[in-house]
Amino acid sequence: MVSTDAPATRVHPGAARATRFGVWLLVAVVVLVVAAAFSVLVGANPLSPGTVLQTLLGGGSAESRFVVWDQRLPRTAAALLVGAALGVAGALIQAFTRNPLADPGILGVNAGAAFFVTIGIVFFGVTSPFGYVWLACAGALLLTVVVYAIGSAGGDAAGPVRLTVTGVAIGAVFAGLTTGLTLTHPDAFDRMRGWSAGSLLERGFDVVLPVLPLLLVGLVLAFVAAPGLNSIALGADLARSHGVNVRRIQMTVLAAVTLLAGGATAVAGPLVFVGLVVPHLVRWTVGNDQRRIVLGSLLLGPVLVLFSDVLGRIAVLPSEMPVGIVTAFVGAPVLIALVRRRSATGL
Amino acid sequence: MRLPSPHRRPRRLLATLALPAVVALALTGCSGGAIGTADAATGTPAPSIEATSHLVEHARGETEVPDDPQRVVVLEPVQLDTTVALGVIPVGAAVLNEAAGVPAYLGAAATKIATVGTVPEPSIEKIAALKPDLILGTESRHSALYEQLATIAPTVFMATQTDPWPENVALVARALGDEAGADQLLADYTDRCDEIAATYDTAGMTAQFVRPREGILTLYGPTSFAGSTLECAGFTIPERDWEESISVDISPERVLEAEADIVLVSATDVTDVSQIPESIRGNATAFPGLNVVDQSFWITGVGPLGGMTVLDDIERILAAAE
Repeated sequence: MVSTDAPATRVHPGAARATRFGVWLLVAVVVLVVAAAFSVLVGANPLSPGTVLQTLLGGGSAESRFVVWDQRLPRTAAALLVGAALGVAGALIQAFTRNPLADPGILGVNAGAAFFVTIGIVFFGVTSPFGYVWLACAGALLLTVVVYAIGSAGGDAAGPVRLTVTGVAIGAVFAGLTTGLTLTHPDAFDRMRGWSAGSLLERGFDVVLPVLPLLLVGLVLAFVAAPGLNSIALGADLARSHGVNVRRIQMTVLAAVTLLAGGATAVAGPLVFVGLVVPHLVRWTVGNDQRRIVLGSLLLGPVLVLFSDVLGRIAVLPSEMPVGIVTAFVGAPVLIALVRRRSATGL
Repeated sequence: MRLPSPHRRPRRLLATLALPAVVALALTGCSGGAIGTADAATGTPAPSIEATSHLVEHARGETEVPDDPQRVVVLEPVQLDTTVALGVIPVGAAVLNEAAGVPAYLGAAATKIATVGTVPEPSIEKIAALKPDLILGTESRHSALYEQLATIAPTVFMATQTDPWPENVALVARALGDEAGADQLLADYTDRCDEIAATYDTAGMTAQFVRPREGILTLYGPTSFAGSTLECAGFTIPERDWEESISVDISPERVLEAEADIVLVSATDVTDVSQIPESIRGNATAFPGLNVVDQSFWITGVGPLGGMTVLDDIERILAAAE
């Protein structure tokens, strides 16, 4: 739906660049399809690719039907959504704060989600991902609103710096509260250790579907705001002098980041590095047009999450490694490689 | 309870009576006050009862401990279970969940036990405030605390909580000077196992205990507390590579590896169906003999009392299945 020709609509001097971006998009889509195929074909249960195909076509044994239909397909869907949401949220927040190290969690999304999930476990005995998803969503949305309210107190519009500082401060307070609660409740500690690693296990359609509307609204807002981010990148004052409504763009971006990062975190827990690394990788290959970066991150975010999840399924057989741990393992070297190739990744 | 220990009660009563007397003395006396307060402070039984002690060899060397400790603090579930089983109700215990407190299966006598922090992080202040005369802990968990604990009271450490639990029961018994009592407890436990095995003819049946954790399934092997109790009751745990561990984690994609004649899934609330992992619910036909059991004793009830409680639960399940 969003694969509209962003480069074509842009009045750009070089048509060659637009073509090159077209090729880039094509390659990204192919890689994404390959990643999704791997995610359906490979897992902790050594089913042969033939068996998986047979099962997809309606055959297979009871076991292979369970593995493919109840485990791998819902997981793949969750990875696609979470990866896309985090990729786009990361692209937006990095452009918005003009800080290449910004992560969607910087507005307190992760801290809020974790705090609410902990409260649910400790005081209300919530134990399933289906229960966590609502708590995490509520926590993420609520804390971002609080951060925005405090960050914009005093009359001024909430500028990126004030918001970032407020987000980090409020996030630290709630992370502290979460730690305090889990340290005195080892049962919650156990469960939170699982949740905060970030996992796609037991994330069936019942967990993903409720969050889907939030993510879709977030994506629409992201593509509405992306062109404006190009103007803001020149500085808010210059943008204003060009007749851009800076405040409206900022509000749209914040709403999009909150919905996307909050929804993704609600489904999978905090997946670090996805929102940080993916926009870098995209920016490095497609340049500084925010519309291209957002579109590219939409495609590469799921690629990182899918490959990491597949790796996690076969890394510690017969068990599995949570995808959040793998994304950190995979993401960190990518980031280091990027930094080494270009002394600085400009925004 | 199952094991009355008549020889202890009178002494404790005497100590309880003696303590206020000492305090009263301390309050009224002038020059003798200092000595009296010291006695009350350490909480040792009045000097009229001869304080004998014995040497216990343990994970941190050898320690002289009182023969008949009155104020015991325990930092490990197996120590809590064993002391209560031997009739020495501890004054303080580290627990797995401070909100839940001391596990309910230990009975009414255990409800008065004060909590002194959590098993991984006991509180030195709370332990000291209880003025114990014996502290039991675990080297693999509380190693760094040993020196501090030893200044509060004689401290005996077992090596690790993953050792076969009867060995840890034996160490607690040596510390309390009641080896005969522990032998009797373990004999009662094995008798109960044999009784269940004979009544329900469990030989040849397989059983698998599963603990779900965030989608991953932890299968418990023959050396675990739950597993060894199942095997004691005559069941066989399905063969697999246990990787020299008490348990092995498997992916939900491999859930069928947990199949057995009787499958037991642990939960904090046995009536809450949502605690059964999706992978098991989604394969209901493969798990006809599924039972949800209480993890407060199946996992943390390590010790003779917990073992008996697990055996009662096994009998309940077998009786219902007939």
